[in-house]
Amino acid sequence: MTELLLSESEKTFILHGVQQNFRGDGRTRSEIRPIVMETDIVSHTNGSCHLRLANTDILVGVKTELETPLPAHPDRGRIEFFVDCSANASPAFEGRGGDNLAADISRVLARSYASPEILNLKELCILPGKTCWILYVDILVLEVGGNLYDAVSMAVKAALFSTKVPVVTVSTVDGGEPELDLSDDPHKATRISVQNAPVLVSLSRIGNYCVVDSTPEEENCSSASLLFSVTPKGMLTAVKKIGGGSFQQTSIQAAAKQAVSIGVEVNDKLLQKLQQEEEMGRKREKIGFLL
Amino acid sequence: MLAQKVFLKKTKRGNIIKEVREHYLRDDIRCGHPKCQKCDLVGSVNKALLTENPISVASVCLEPHYIVVDTNIVLEHIDALESEGFCNVIILQTVLDEVRHRSSPIYKRLKDIISNPARNFWVFVNEHRKETYVERQPGESANDRNDRAIRVACAWFNKHWKEEVGAKHGKAILLSDDKANRDRAESEKISSFSSYDYVESMKDFPSLVDKLKQKDGKGDGFSKRFLFPEHLAPAQINAGIKSGRYLKGVFYQSRTSYLEGSVNVEGKDPILVQGLEHMNRSVDGDTVAVQLLKKEDWSAPLEVVLEDDGFDSGDTLDPAKKLVSESAKSKDTQLTARVVGIVRRKWRQYCGMLQSNPVKGSNRHIFVAAEKKIPKVRIETRQSDKLIGQRIIVAIDSWPRSSRYPVGHFVRALGKLGDKATENEVLLLEHDIPHSKFSDAVLECLPEMPWTITAKDKLERVDCRHLNICSVDPPGCTDIDDALHAMPLPNGNYEVGVHIADVSHFIRPGTAIDQEAANRSTTVYLTDRRIDMVPELLSSNLCSLRDDGDRFAFSCVWEMDQEANIVATRFHKSIIRSRSSMTYEDAQNRIDDKADTSDLTESLRILLKLSKLLKARRIEAGALLLASSEVRFNVDSETADPIDVQAKVMRETNSMVEEFMLAANISAATRIHQNFPDCAMLRRHPAPPASNFDPLVKAAKQQGHEIIIDSGKQLADTLNAATDAKRPYLNTMLRMIATRCMMQAVYFASGTIEEPLFRHYGLACPIYTHFTSPIRRYADVIVHRLLAVSIQADSTYAGLVDKKQTQKIAENINYRHRMAQYAGRASVNLFTHLYFRNKKRDETGYILYIRQNAIQVLIPKYGLEGTLFLNKKKRKDEEVGADTELAWHFNEDEPSVTLDGHKLSLFQKLEVQVELDSTDIQHEKLVLSLVKPAIPGYSVAPAPPLPEEEESSTSKVSQEKDGARKRKSDGSSTNDQDLKEKNKKKMKKSN
Repeated sequence: MTELLLSESEKTFILHGVQQNFRGDGRTRSEIRPIVMETDIVSHTNGSCHLRLANTDILVGVKTELETPLPAHPDRGRIEFFVDCSANASPAFEGRGGDNLAADISRVLARSYASPEILNLKELCILPGKTCWILYVDILVLEVGGNLYDAVSMAVKAALFSTKVPVVTVSTVDGGEPELDLSDDPHKATRISVQNAPVLVSLSRIGNYCVVDSTPEEENCSSASLLFSVTPKGMLTAVKKIGGGSFQQTSIQAAAKQAVSIGVEVNDKLLQKLQQEEEMGRKREKIGFLL
Repeated sequence: MLAQKVFLKKTKRGNIIKEVREHYLRDDIRCGHPKCQKCDLVGSVNKALLTENPISVASVCLEPHYIVVDTNIVLEHIDALESEGFCNVIILQTVLDEVRHRSSPIYKRLKDIISNPARNFWVFVNEHRKETYVERQPGESANDRNDRAIRVACAWFNKHWKEEVGAKHGKAILLSDDKANRDRAESEKISSFSSYDYVESMKDFPSLVDKLKQKDGKGDGFSKRFLFPEHLAPAQINAGIKSGRYLKGVFYQSRTSYLEGSVNVEGKDPILVQGLEHMNRSVDGDTVAVQLLKKEDWSAPLEVVLEDDGFDSGDTLDPAKKLVSESAKSKDTQLTARVVGIVRRKWRQYCGMLQSNPVKGSNRHIFVAAEKKIPKVRIETRQSDKLIGQRIIVAIDSWPRSSRYPVGHFVRALGKLGDKATENEVLLLEHDIPHSKFSDAVLECLPEMPWTITAKDKLERVDCRHLNICSVDPPGCTDIDDALHAMPLPNGNYEVGVHIADVSHFIRPGTAIDQEAANRSTTVYLTDRRIDMVPELLSSNLCSLRDDGDRFAFSCVWEMDQEANIVATRFHKSIIRSRSSMTYEDAQNRIDDKADTSDLTESLRILLKLSKLLKARRIEAGALLLASSEVRFNVDSETADPIDVQAKVMRETNSMVEEFMLAANISAATRIHQNFPDCAMLRRHPAPPASNFDPLVKAAKQQGHEIIIDSGKQLADTLNAATDAKRPYLNTMLRMIATRCMMQAVYFASGTIEEPLFRHYGLACPIYTHFTSPIRRYADVIVHRLLAVSIQADSTYAGLVDKKQTQKIAENINYRHRMAQYAGRASVNLFTHLYFRNKKRDETGYILYIRQNAIQVLIPKYGLEGTLFLNKKKRKDEEVGADTELAWHFNEDEPSVTLDGHKLSLFQKLEVQVELDSTDIQHEKLVLSLVKPAIPGYSVAPAPPLPEEEESSTSKVSQEKDGARKRKSDGSSTNDQDLKEKNKKKMKKSN
């Protein structure tokens, strides 16, 4: 994706490192770089998360809006993703450069959240056929430092975790028009359960091995990557191949297994940390971008 | 320091959005204590602070203290706060904001108190002071948060003052009626009191307790039995209205019966509500939700007059119920409903008087409002001895389900009942006429005296000082707003100019004086008092076109040919100098004086000649001349009590001025409508529906005259023809009846209705406005501004060209004019009553209307109309020795009434005896009784002549303190203001 110029010898160095399960930054093939994350930092949104994975910098905001449910699912709310690749993130995103990537990411996210097992969208419905909440997930890519998909998916999950949906009660439905009453306590809100929400795990094939959480240099050496959406229970909800290279059937299976084990662990750790942050309560000092 | 305020908001379209506002916290907001050095850093602002050593007036807390009030105190006891007893009060911003949200009238009153430096009300901006800002906690209601903010502020005051000025210089105490809040305050070591405890201990202000609002159901006097059905909750009402189960409308109490009222629902006939239980505590003017009854329960309005009698009948509805069920379920039933809930109360303060409690020493009393439509109100007062016999003002607080009457509290006393000043005050209050003194802000808008004409003014204006301009007005007029001139032109035509006081030069849009004038909308003329629309400096000096100096004017100058056709019209601002301020009589004398050939007199003659042509043409076009009798009171120079009344004389010159004013108004209307088709302020007078004329046609027919009502012209012609040489009053009375058939003329913005509807029926012209009296009418000021823009003499502003805003102004003016008219009439009534107090007089009257049990009699001498009730009487028959009942026989078709062979029919001349019935001291009324034709046993004996009275009216040179001025008669008054443009009533400055 990013145009990064690597010499042949650099590529060989990375390749050899991967072969020996000892990558340039000292990681093994299935190790992930440290992640810094903070939720609830954009006060205008209902839920938000700022996530930094090495140089990859993502800001996600979730806004709730009232709308009519789709006729196909009159008793469900909806979730919609919108990705904006900021031109600051990479020179390649300048102009309309990031649009394809952005569309790609939102498609993958939509697919991975499409399974009814993941979010209980029925909870977002207020009046079947009349009113429901829509979760607009706005993803802002501020900087790209490799492994963009994974970082985005984690940030989305964290933002959904922190989302507070206003409490709305239906007072009357007489005369066909529902009358919605809003609780006057701004702190009163319902939360969205993200117990089953997936994260994306992308595996880049370098030589004959797949590495997780690749750096931009490694991505440059990779002929193709596989992207798995893994739920905390180890279920796969979406798979996508990125790049021109090809995979053998057996290696896909092996990669899937690897992705599931990594994905379950990431999900687990993520939830753990989010819970920890939640417990710090409202008095937590917010750091924002002054990292 | 920055904090954020986050809240959720529901948008108009029903979406819910999260709003985030920045909220800045500072540490340099003054605490308000004059001795606090730390807070004085900001510099000495010239603002009233708290006083240095507050003296406690309440015995519950003898230490010097400042009062912090909770929101509930302000909302409920604003009347008490307004009284002098409360000083050194700290109003927190939290409280101020909450009050603003809850009730804007109370907010305004609170602001007024705060702005009075003598009261030492200090607003502390606690929401922005770092130490006193509190954030809402999860699970905390907005109310709890505000209560906490108030407590935090109190605690901070105490701590802050302890450190800065020492504890002996004052501490903050909390006044709250919220028990929970007080308890928490106590636990946080803040002294707090309930309003009742605190006020009761203010020994120097015993009357304050009465001003506290009564709480629902408080006290033991109320039985706990519920008399009324419950009101539905707002949500239920809304739901019901949406689904059509309930109807929403304004409740109007019947004038004649306290047991019924009607609800006006949009697009429906009025709905009857009968019986106290069905009325369910609605008060006249409230917006209520009603549920229709089943058809078989529908009822007809009661035909009897019912008044809630004398005493507190206790908490029972039984007698009322009985009365209703007794009312015949006649065939003319109409929609009937019961009130299920109150959408909006329209309670205000009511004038009235106290009905003394027969139990001596009781604090509970019944208040009877002067307005009969208002139910009696229970109040508690300890000053009943003082208040009985006074006019007082009372506010309704609530109407508990268990109480027969609403519960209220005493606001203030106006003065002794029957006293002229008191009654005048009542009159003004009841008609919602703003009559307070002009505020300082308004007075600051006045030009500085001595006022001079600058060179710039001269440049902008046409200098008309060389013209022979003069004004003609009623005697004693001080607000002269029009002047005239006329001169022959070389081409044989005439130049005629109407010069109107240039009020819009002094009243600039948007200024305080403009807002005040817009609010007042009109000068109100009472019999002995004038309530100006603009301060006197303008109305009686700078804008008054007197003959003592140069004045600014807005001139409308025509070129007219010999036939008084307008050849050309032009408008310009000018400087004029009136040669003479004449009365109608002066002008008439000059014209009649053949020897006088001065320029001024000649121009008056031209004016008179042209005006006759104008009038003839106007009448030809179908303009109506409607009679109404005018009276003026001769007033005793010392006591200002009326000692005689006389009807007003009309002179040719009255009509001369009137014609030119009408012409100027029409010219102005045409001009502004051309230039501002959308937002011109015009006046229209709708043609009345034919059915309105029924009484007129019927009455004329009976007299052998035919009135054709198909067009204004035919009406005018047939009215003119309906004369009877033997009965000169016949025609006048027919015209009076015609007046009552008319619709009300109204102001409107031209863009709001279609052009054919602009017509002025009474004047028979397609377009009309008011231009000629800007001193006393706000509509004219707007017209002046529009005209000024159209001749490029002034610049426009947003509100002027906004059709909606113009319409809003027009509606306010219409309302104020109507109220001013009612007030004027009430004032004449008041004076009539004063005049007839302790007098019994026989007068000649004519029958105007005949009803089944009464006849309406017009007494031309006083321009007075009275009702002569045809009650049954018993006559002792000497021959038989038994009583015979004397009952009038009513013939509806003629109409006439007969008794013992004496027939009374329409327009018949009678002798009646007039006296004042003072049995109901709140509603004194004139009572007429029949003298001639003498019906044995029925008529009363003629009153003995009053010799000393005769003498006084002939020998005593009574000073005409003010012209009386209200047409008494025009009940449904129409275009009187147009027709009598010039007969406006002015008042001599009281010497």
